[in-house]
Amino acid sequence: MKHLKLTLAAAGLLALSAFAPVAAQDAPEPITLTLAGYAVPREAYGDIIPLFQRYWLDQTGQQVIVLESYQASGAQSRAVAGGFAADVVALSIEPDITRLVDAGLVSEDWKDDNPYSGIVTQSLVVLAVRADNPKNILDWADLAAEGVEIITPDPATSGGAQWNILGAAGAAERGFVPGYEGETAVADFLTALAGNVLVFDRDGRESYLTFERGIGDVAITYENEVIGAALAGGTDAYVYPASTILIENPVAVVDTYVDQNGTREVAEAFVEFLWTADAQRAFANRGFRPVTPEVRAQYGLAEEGEEIAEAGAGAVEVNASIVYPAVEDEFTIEHFGGWSEARATYFGDEGLFTRIAAEIQG
Amino acid sequence: MREISPRSPWAILLIVIVLGYAGILFIAPLIGIISAAFADGLEPIIATLNDPSVQHAFYISFALAIGATAINAVLGLIAAWVLTRQRFRGRRLFDALVDIPFVFSPVIAGYAMIVLFGREGWITPPFAIVFALPGILLAKTFVSLPYVIREVQPVLETLTPEAEDAAYTIGATRWTTFRKVVLPEIWTALLYGIVLTFARAIGEFGAVSVISGNIEGYTETATSFVFRALNDRNASGAYIVSLLLCLISVIILVLMNVLRSRVVRKGV
Repeated sequence: MKHLKLTLAAAGLLALSAFAPVAAQDAPEPITLTLAGYAVPREAYGDIIPLFQRYWLDQTGQQVIVLESYQASGAQSRAVAGGFAADVVALSIEPDITRLVDAGLVSEDWKDDNPYSGIVTQSLVVLAVRADNPKNILDWADLAAEGVEIITPDPATSGGAQWNILGAAGAAERGFVPGYEGETAVADFLTALAGNVLVFDRDGRESYLTFERGIGDVAITYENEVIGAALAGGTDAYVYPASTILIENPVAVVDTYVDQNGTREVAEAFVEFLWTADAQRAFANRGFRPVTPEVRAQYGLAEEGEEIAEAGAGAVEVNASIVYPAVEDEFTIEHFGGWSEARATYFGDEGLFTRIAAEIQG
Repeated sequence: MREISPRSPWAILLIVIVLGYAGILFIAPLIGIISAAFADGLEPIIATLNDPSVQHAFYISFALAIGATAINAVLGLIAAWVLTRQRFRGRRLFDALVDIPFVFSPVIAGYAMIVLFGREGWITPPFAIVFALPGILLAKTFVSLPYVIREVQPVLETLTPEAEDAAYTIGATRWTTFRKVVLPEIWTALLYGIVLTFARAIGEFGAVSVISGNIEGYTETATSFVFRALNDRNASGAYIVSLLLCLISVIILVLMNVLRSRVVRKGV
């Protein structure tokens, strides 16, 4: 019995010590910053956060502890709206930040003063295929062929899934999906495509891992995901469709929470840090297309005839083995008239894809 | 009903079915986890065990499971006593409601807590509950609530109030009566309920994943870590933590068997 009491006492101590966050042990008055991210850029933030911590220590002499949480963009956005008091949100699609604006958590002018409109990384929707491409999948049209098994996440929870569907829809609308022309081209193509989807996972990462585990013939995914997989030793290949959508991932400070937490200064510094050359190269080395002109130039993404100041050397070097090729027809969300239009047309209660998915699932 | 003799082909078939069922459902996954955990030798095992976020995840899982178990042991005991010894309006309804955590999806329970305690929720608590540790405690307590009640209640029902009355007659206080007369009878059932409560609380994932925000090194539990590690392509980390959780289950299983044999001996 005495022994049991001792064990309980030890367990109690253990319980008490557990209530402090992990790194909070020996730093003098450190500040804690909470980052709520979508599932996919976890590794990139893993590279960037130590750089920021060093930067902040040099600037202010203060240690910053970064608490990180990553889940599907929509789920993350809903958690923050529901009371998860994150200081910074890094999400897949702008509407997931708009939700926080509507909830009164992020100020309405969050992207107005930013030269990149709050967009921190870009990517392209691409098609991941098996190593030797046995089904010979080269472009969107091949996804609609009979017997092709597609993996893509669920647009209801995943921001990335919406990029995927919009990529397919835009390509059809712009005449890049042979066999699907005229008035009903988009609806017909999306119906054929959705009919071939084998698994709708919860988020982009889970979806791609499903494909990596050998399920399906093709995954509609993002350039950054396939580059990340290749860096992690994956053997699957990928193809760029002739026409595809440019993915743009926003970052914002959550105004209400930073004011509550007393973290506005460090949160704003962190967000600004994401556009420094080092952070942008860190993103680029993990497969995300950078957005600042000088780092874009370092990865061969400069516009023709553009004059760019040379990016200085920093802590992060350019990984020359990563190439970001141009596609024939790259379009943005503006093709659909912006996010609110695109959401209403495709993913609202009466949206085209919502109806198609409902029909298929019976 | 016709008795099946032990040597009939039917009996053999049934034995094969049971063994196959056990093999597919418990033994094969366990072997899979063990071999995957040791697949890359000792190095990843040591790295995983030294990972501060893994250690923290286990602290959180243990501390909050112990907390949930303590709450449910005390309140469950009181509830079981009230349900068997008191007659009041709504008793039957309350008795039925105790099983809600068995039938309710934990994910929905988590969302319900966000609706209750979240930003602009119905109740504004003085300290953070959701997306913080109290929320996880609440989730673990909710899902493991019925076990102590359901283990203790039937034993209490078999006890007649006469022994208690006799104790009062000779001048024992309520507390002494409970300790000397009631507790010895229900002790085994209570312990069994506590073990089940702890097992359920430490393994909970769904409600916790909704309510915790999965903040690494803060609100991330051991089961949430397994989920994250799989998404991080950290398969060895996921398998090693899974294996540790399995070991805990095995210990719980042994404890349960010890307790059950005590129950059986008592019953004879």
